[in-house]
Amino acid sequence: MSETKVTRGWADQDKPRTMHSELLEINMGPQHPATHGVLRLLVKTDGEIVHSVTPYLGYLHRCAEKIAEGCDWRQWMVYTDRFDYLAPMNMNFGYAVAVENMLGVEVPERAEHIRVICAELQRIASHLIAVGTFGLDMGAWTPLLYCFREREEILNIFERLSGGRMLYNYFDVGGVRFDAYDGFEADVLRMVNVMEQKLVEYNTLLSYNKIFIERTADVGVIDVDTCHQYGCTGPVLRGAGTPFDCRKDDPYSIYDRFEFDVPYGTGEQGTVGDCWDRYMVRVRECFESCRIIRQAVAAMPGGDVMSPDLKKLVKVPAGSLYTRTESSKGEIGFHIFADGGSKPFRNKVRSPSYSNLHVIEKVGPGMMVSDLVATVGSLDIVLGEIDR
Amino acid sequence: MEAAAIHALLTEKLGDAVLDVIDSFEKGSVIAAGSIAEACRLLRDEPALHFDQLMCLTGVDWDGYDESGKGKSVDILGYDELGRPEKSDRVGEGDLGVYYACYSSRHGHKYTLAVRVPRDAAQIPTVSGVWATAAWHEREAYDLVGMTFSGHPDLRRILLEDGWVGHPLRKDYVMPDQWQGVPLQGQDYAKNPFSEDDVVLPARPGQEG
Amino acid sequence: MQVMTDLFASIFGDSMSPTALLITGGLTMALIMSLVMALCAIVFTWLERKVAGFLQSRYGPMRVGGFHGVLQPVADMVKILGKEDIIPQDADKALFMLSPFVIFVGSLMAWAAIPFAPGFIASDLDLGLFYIFAVSSAAPAGILMAGWASNNKWALYGAARGAAQMVSYEIPLALAVIPVVMVTGSLNMNAIVEAQGGGIWNWFIFHNPFLFIGFFLYFIASIAEVNRGPFDMPETESELVAGYHTEYTGMRFAFFFLAEYANLFLVSCIATAVFLGGWQPVAGPVFAPGLVFVIKACLLVLLQMLVRWTLPRLRVDQLMHTCWKVMVPLALLCVLGSGIWMMVSGELL
Repeated sequence: MSETKVTRGWADQDKPRTMHSELLEINMGPQHPATHGVLRLLVKTDGEIVHSVTPYLGYLHRCAEKIAEGCDWRQWMVYTDRFDYLAPMNMNFGYAVAVENMLGVEVPERAEHIRVICAELQRIASHLIAVGTFGLDMGAWTPLLYCFREREEILNIFERLSGGRMLYNYFDVGGVRFDAYDGFEADVLRMVNVMEQKLVEYNTLLSYNKIFIERTADVGVIDVDTCHQYGCTGPVLRGAGTPFDCRKDDPYSIYDRFEFDVPYGTGEQGTVGDCWDRYMVRVRECFESCRIIRQAVAAMPGGDVMSPDLKKLVKVPAGSLYTRTESSKGEIGFHIFADGGSKPFRNKVRSPSYSNLHVIEKVGPGMMVSDLVATVGSLDIVLGEIDR
Repeated sequence: MEAAAIHALLTEKLGDAVLDVIDSFEKGSVIAAGSIAEACRLLRDEPALHFDQLMCLTGVDWDGYDESGKGKSVDILGYDELGRPEKSDRVGEGDLGVYYACYSSRHGHKYTLAVRVPRDAAQIPTVSGVWATAAWHEREAYDLVGMTFSGHPDLRRILLEDGWVGHPLRKDYVMPDQWQGVPLQGQDYAKNPFSEDDVVLPARPGQEG
Repeated sequence: MQVMTDLFASIFGDSMSPTALLITGGLTMALIMSLVMALCAIVFTWLERKVAGFLQSRYGPMRVGGFHGVLQPVADMVKILGKEDIIPQDADKALFMLSPFVIFVGSLMAWAAIPFAPGFIASDLDLGLFYIFAVSSAAPAGILMAGWASNNKWALYGAARGAAQMVSYEIPLALAVIPVVMVTGSLNMNAIVEAQGGGIWNWFIFHNPFLFIGFFLYFIASIAEVNRGPFDMPETESELVAGYHTEYTGMRFAFFFLAEYANLFLVSCIATAVFLGGWQPVAGPVFAPGLVFVIKACLLVLLQMLVRWTLPRLRVDQLMHTCWKVMVPLALLCVLGSGIWMMVSGELL
């Protein structure tokens, strides 16, 4: 743009004119129907092809890690709800397990079973949103409504259980806060029966639809090495072909008693690690969660739900520990530094979506704008846990 | 591999750079600040170790930590009776640190490395060349704790605004009174309504021209 | 228009000159067409929301107007009329204000040649079909104007995609109806409909297998022409906020939607007239031709709505691939096959 003006004369008519073109800088977000929350993606494109993607975070930053330093250990549990607000039970589970590992307290059997059932139901609910909104990004409006219809049932169960539909305040360090209601097991089993039928319906409607496959197969391929380098976990890593799951490979709570498979991407419709693989891993995980729930309900004992030798003001012995559990989005880790007192010294939350989103900077360039939307949708990010 | 064996291997390869062992709930080594990138590269590339994933990179402000383990660390600032954030003149003196929690997908073992630097010389080499995910985690450590990483490709704030002053996760952090005209301390509007003159709005891009 | 002219002639008799009769007849017809267009937009907004609701296992509008929300479109209109008219500061004002009208008028003009009933056609052109396709080509120009004038990168994206898509899909659209013209021997819409008399098996869709395929090609291309259903890349909400009409609010926005639904009904009417027998009944003598025609067109509209709410959308390059590498060759094949069929069966003498 700072070229001096060149006059062309008769003698220049055979010389080609130099074309000057620029990349088009577009802002996707913070308010945008497809960025799953307040996320800003600065996309530089050359027509339809993306040259670079730069995510800008922090619109939902509430510095919960600083708040932790002023709260008790048990008080901070409610802040974990607000990280991944679509799967709060999983967040709570992660934090409870992290503190219990350092405390050395034993969680009663009944509480463990209730926790597993809640976590798996929450995983299904979160995957339903992931599947529905992914279809919505592709232009299929109807599966979203169907997924929400099923999610409504799960939220009703949670409401009867804990009083809340989205943020539960039910888990606690050492167990759960109160016992399950009468009829909890019957409700859960009925839900699981319905769920398994409906998942087949979603497969017919969306998963094997030709247009959907064309939009998602071979799109946004993330291979295993990239996943390891960028710290991607959960369905992103499993979609890339590795059956790694914290519940199996780094077991916590009572998951080692249950029999379930870990679905992983095989490149069934395109390449291993494309959007379809990640999507299908989520759908198949819902089936596996149903299996776990059935086993947990069958094995549920009686008893109390809170560890009896837990003081009201918990004091965690000095030291540090990083504990990770499997949330629906990936591996949620809490790196806890304790000093022996009643308040945490430093709670660091390692959220799965933070690292999952990072990979878009590598995978984004070279694809079309529509594919970028598809890939971001298939990563299934929640801004609450990215920004904390 | 057992943690002790890993520590022995590290001591053998890095010599003086391995300062101490971490023998808490997690097992690891304390590495000298200047050699952390080398240590991480060793962790990743050594076949017996093969730590191909960085699970978590945590920035810590050790100021006021109670070493005796009795929980008497310095309290963070709270709120006064009127509900306003407390202020303090305290200046932190403690060290800053970074913890690296690593995992090997091939061998299935975990290990933690730790680095500790004094507050006024808080600079350590970056490990984003070893694990790409460290780029964003280090940006967050810089943003919230104030640790600088030399050699980082793009060290700027990630969660807070670019123009923010201060590092919130430090123990001596005091919330500013206002930011770009927005009052942050819960000023009592009815009693002291701020006037239009106090508000300094940033110039809108494109308006000057 | 003949009907209108005769009506005025019968009322006023000799007191009006033929020119005056022509003009009054023409103006009344235009007014009626505009009213039909507005009415169909209103009815189809309601129908779309109900169809979407029932497909998604919910009800759709239920409250406004008592029975299943029939007055919902009226409420929407009232709301839209009350909105502030915002024009972005750096927008190209003239083009910004002009573009809804360009799209709207392009659609309205095509209605002049739709045969609703014998004699009840605004303008009995001998070039009827050709005129319709020619005139509806004004829409891509309007879309480009809307996207460019908004001074908004998202709108520009949507406009570029939309114009490319509409221009491309006009080709299979026109190619698919050429066999019909071959069979009738005329571009006159009335002649095309009259040639399908005598029961359902005389409709052109069943005339020969190539025309059967041609009908489906036309149907798919028509969905792409109106930027709906699996082909709504230009206005896709999940990517481009709202595509080429991002910056439009209030009545201008309403014009885009009026134009979209009018276009929807328009292409369905053309399909009815050309492939499904127009106002010819399924069997027996001609009765209530206007009603038969409208019912057939509405069924096609319903089908388009079902398709939209079921399928995900195609990406822009897949859209273009479908048009140029799949539909155009297929349409050309239909033309060729139709011609050979007619030659072999002795029609082409």
